[in-house]
Amino acid sequence: MTGRIELPQGTLDLLILRTLLPGAQHGWAISERVQQLSSEVLSIQQGSLYPALHRLERRGWIKARWGTSDNNRRAKYYELTPTGKRQLEHETKAWRKLTVAVQQVLEGA
Amino acid sequence: MLQDLRYRLRAMFRHKAVEEELDEEIRFHFDHEVEKYMRTGMTEEEAKRRARLVFGGHEQVKEDCRGARGTQFIDLTLDDIRYALRQLWINRTFALVMIATLALSIGANSAIFSVVDGVLLKRLPYPEPQRLVRIFLSSAAYPKFPLNPFDFLDFRARNHSFESVAAFTRGDVQLSDSGEPIRLNGFGITSGYFRVLGIKPHLGREFDFTEEIPGNGLQVILSDRVWRTQFNADRNIIGRKITLNMQPFTVVGVMPAGTEHPGNDYHAVAYGQSVDVWWPFSFAGDSNRRGSHFIEGIGRLKPGVTIEQARAEMNAIMSQLGREHPNNDAGWSVLVIPLHSEVVGTSRRMLLVLLGAVGMVLLIACANTANLLLARASARQREIAVRLAMGAPRLRVVRQLLTESLLIALTGGALGLTLAFGGVRALVSLLPADFPRAHDIHVSGPVLAFTLLISIFTGILFGLAPALQASHTDPKQGLQQSGRTSTASRHQSRLRSALVISEVSLACVLLVGAGLMLRTFLNLLHLNSGFREDNVLTASLSLPHQRYKTGEQTARFYQQLVRSLNTLPGVQSAGAGSDLPWTGYDENAGGFTIEGKKPAPHEEFHARYHMASPGYFSAMGIPLLEGRFFTEADGKGAPWVLIINRAMAERYWPQEDAIGKRISFEDTPKKDSDWMTVVGVVGDVKDQPNSLNAEPAFWWSEFQASEPDMSIAIRTQSDARQVADGLRDAVHRLDPELAVADVKLMNQVVDASLSTPRFTFVLVGLFAGLAILLAGIGTYGVIAYTVAQRSQEFGLRVALGAQRRDLLQTVFAQCARLAVPGTLLGLVLALSLSRVVQTLLYGVSATDPLILTGASLLVLTAALFASYVPARRASLADPMRTLREE
Repeated sequence: MTGRIELPQGTLDLLILRTLLPGAQHGWAISERVQQLSSEVLSIQQGSLYPALHRLERRGWIKARWGTSDNNRRAKYYELTPTGKRQLEHETKAWRKLTVAVQQVLEGA
Repeated sequence: MLQDLRYRLRAMFRHKAVEEELDEEIRFHFDHEVEKYMRTGMTEEEAKRRARLVFGGHEQVKEDCRGARGTQFIDLTLDDIRYALRQLWINRTFALVMIATLALSIGANSAIFSVVDGVLLKRLPYPEPQRLVRIFLSSAAYPKFPLNPFDFLDFRARNHSFESVAAFTRGDVQLSDSGEPIRLNGFGITSGYFRVLGIKPHLGREFDFTEEIPGNGLQVILSDRVWRTQFNADRNIIGRKITLNMQPFTVVGVMPAGTEHPGNDYHAVAYGQSVDVWWPFSFAGDSNRRGSHFIEGIGRLKPGVTIEQARAEMNAIMSQLGREHPNNDAGWSVLVIPLHSEVVGTSRRMLLVLLGAVGMVLLIACANTANLLLARASARQREIAVRLAMGAPRLRVVRQLLTESLLIALTGGALGLTLAFGGVRALVSLLPADFPRAHDIHVSGPVLAFTLLISIFTGILFGLAPALQASHTDPKQGLQQSGRTSTASRHQSRLRSALVISEVSLACVLLVGAGLMLRTFLNLLHLNSGFREDNVLTASLSLPHQRYKTGEQTARFYQQLVRSLNTLPGVQSAGAGSDLPWTGYDENAGGFTIEGKKPAPHEEFHARYHMASPGYFSAMGIPLLEGRFFTEADGKGAPWVLIINRAMAERYWPQEDAIGKRISFEDTPKKDSDWMTVVGVVGDVKDQPNSLNAEPAFWWSEFQASEPDMSIAIRTQSDARQVADGLRDAVHRLDPELAVADVKLMNQVVDASLSTPRFTFVLVGLFAGLAILLAGIGTYGVIAYTVAQRSQEFGLRVALGAQRRDLLQTVFAQCARLAVPGTLLGLVLALSLSRVVQTLLYGVSATDPLILTGASLLVLTAALFASYVPARRASLADPMRTLREE
């Protein structure tokens, strides 16, 4: 597990929203996907995914429905809502600004 | 936002489904994860272990998800409530005692608040009632006096403060269109009267200026009730002629239901829907003669004009009038009083005192409940220690305990509310008949809100201290101690003593209050009233002017009636008088001349005037002190005679014999027939039972004065009710179209005039009883608790040779340490409140030493009584048992 870094506060929401951009996914797939996309560098406690999903659902950024998974089991699928999409764009921009700014500071020093 | 709400609502109301879904979701994830690891060649065991590690604790994740749902607060509360219910069920008796105590005191509070809300807080039923005022005159001799019609016209014409002003005066009428004639409560009103009140007629119109002109007065506006009961709600009644006082009156309007009389002072009719008809008041006579005052003013202020501005303007107008008519109008000032204060009047203080008293009962109940909770908190130390040791935060324990006390308080409140529903009905039936706005008293929305509020308030009040105390339990100590011997901390027992002391002091205050009210009531009940009310039947008659045009006709009618009443079987004596004692009669005659005397500068001779026929005084049981009663000979043509009361004799002829003295109502009496001669002096009767002194008063002979509206009094040997039919027959033999109204026993009249002090006494007494009972229970609780705790000590002391008496003494000493400071504190409180209740008392000072002592003794006795059982138990401590247990 060495070499992994802790996820900064608040970024989990952004990653989940990004993962859902291509289409609806169930919790486990989201978890796997985040893991893959981040090249296994980010360490996410899988359990912390679910409170985040519930929080996003309450805010109306994603919505959940029950569907059938590949192996024919009932699973809860999450997908982006229009507000969720806007939120994702907004947060992506903010994140880029932040990283650019932080990078400038680091390199300028 | 909406999404958020929908989400939370679903999470709350479909709690179970949401939880199951969460479960399923997590299981799904976990199974996939396990599967993933197994594909890499792990055994199932290993894969599961790994998955669990990566995922984290299931319960923790679920808890976090619940937190994310935003319903944690509610879930926790539901948990707390479930837990609290279980705890209360385990200690059923304990919970029942607390709930019953609170239900009683919250119910009493809600009931009294219903009265306060209906009478004091609810808006008057007129649009913008805060702009309505009553207008009176005031002078040194007559602090609150009706207006003169011509002064009123000038007020109306000259003021700029009022949108409109109007005047009204009582004048009942007799309706005789069909069947037996009936008396209707009537008022003469000026134009604009209903415009001032802000009520539009339901049908037709109200009076305008043309009806104020003499001769145009045969018009009438009906109340909704009369329109329905007498005229079958006939919608075509406008323009129809009806017979009032044997004259044809044209109906011009019908008022809507809910048209409430704003109350009046002079010949008072109770506030409420008490008026049946209104007729136009007309301004007849010489506008330079302004000595007669009999109409009452009411006005609606212009928006933005304050009472003070209106008062200043009216007084300026009055001074102008004083200069223009120095004979009649000098020396008066104008009173402008908000209608609300006028309606609520004297009942305000009484209600606030009752509210205070019942509030004290609630505080006592709170103290008691807190005490019980404290006692139980020490018994629950173990349970709380366990919870703390398991990692529950202290705040969580406080929250849990507060939930318990709130649950108790709310249950008590709900039960109390049902009690209040019954209580309010009982209260209203106990209320004096003329109590303002009694029909507005209901358990209404504000009462429900009040009950909820005081329930929550009491729940927190009595729950907070025990909860904080319990949360300070040291888990280690709590667990080590076994349940039975766990001792309350020093701090806790101090707190419990303080609670009992304050309970005792409040109970003491209420007992003093009850004592004072009882004394007041007894004083009034055993008052030397000046008349004898037993076996007297009364009624009232009003001879219509149309048929009895001359004084001779009126005098003849009453002469014949009194004669025939006196021949009825069983009648000892019967007569007619202008009024009955204690009915609020306050007619004044001022400015008469007394032979050989001069009034003090800026003053005039004045006295209440009445009319009486022969037989009136003996029927009423008013004693003759000197001279003689009226006889049949005191009629028209005979020299004018007067009977005066003792107060008048003492006021105007001190140390003289009043008999034979003369007064005159002529400005400059010349001939003998201008004078009236005092022929008798009778005993004093006060205006009201609680009036300070009897007013000077005189009576004219009815056969000379010929008053058409008279009250009849018939004294019988036994049950006076039996002559009621005889009275009706006698009246109808003389005039079949005359209504016999207000047939009542004199006892009922007296009873009604005592109903306010009775009401106050019964309620304060009830509250004091409740208070002393609760304080007794509180004292018992604390003493019994310490006795139980010290039972080993007592056993050892007996073993070491202590006498039973010593043990009794120990316990009673502890009781004294609670009761004596409590009583002293109570006395101090009672003394500091004495000013508040003094005006409600009669014939007793609020600091009456006898009552203060009596109340203290009662409180101390109750405390002693409460500690008797525990003391006895202590004295029976068994040394053998104690030693075995050690």
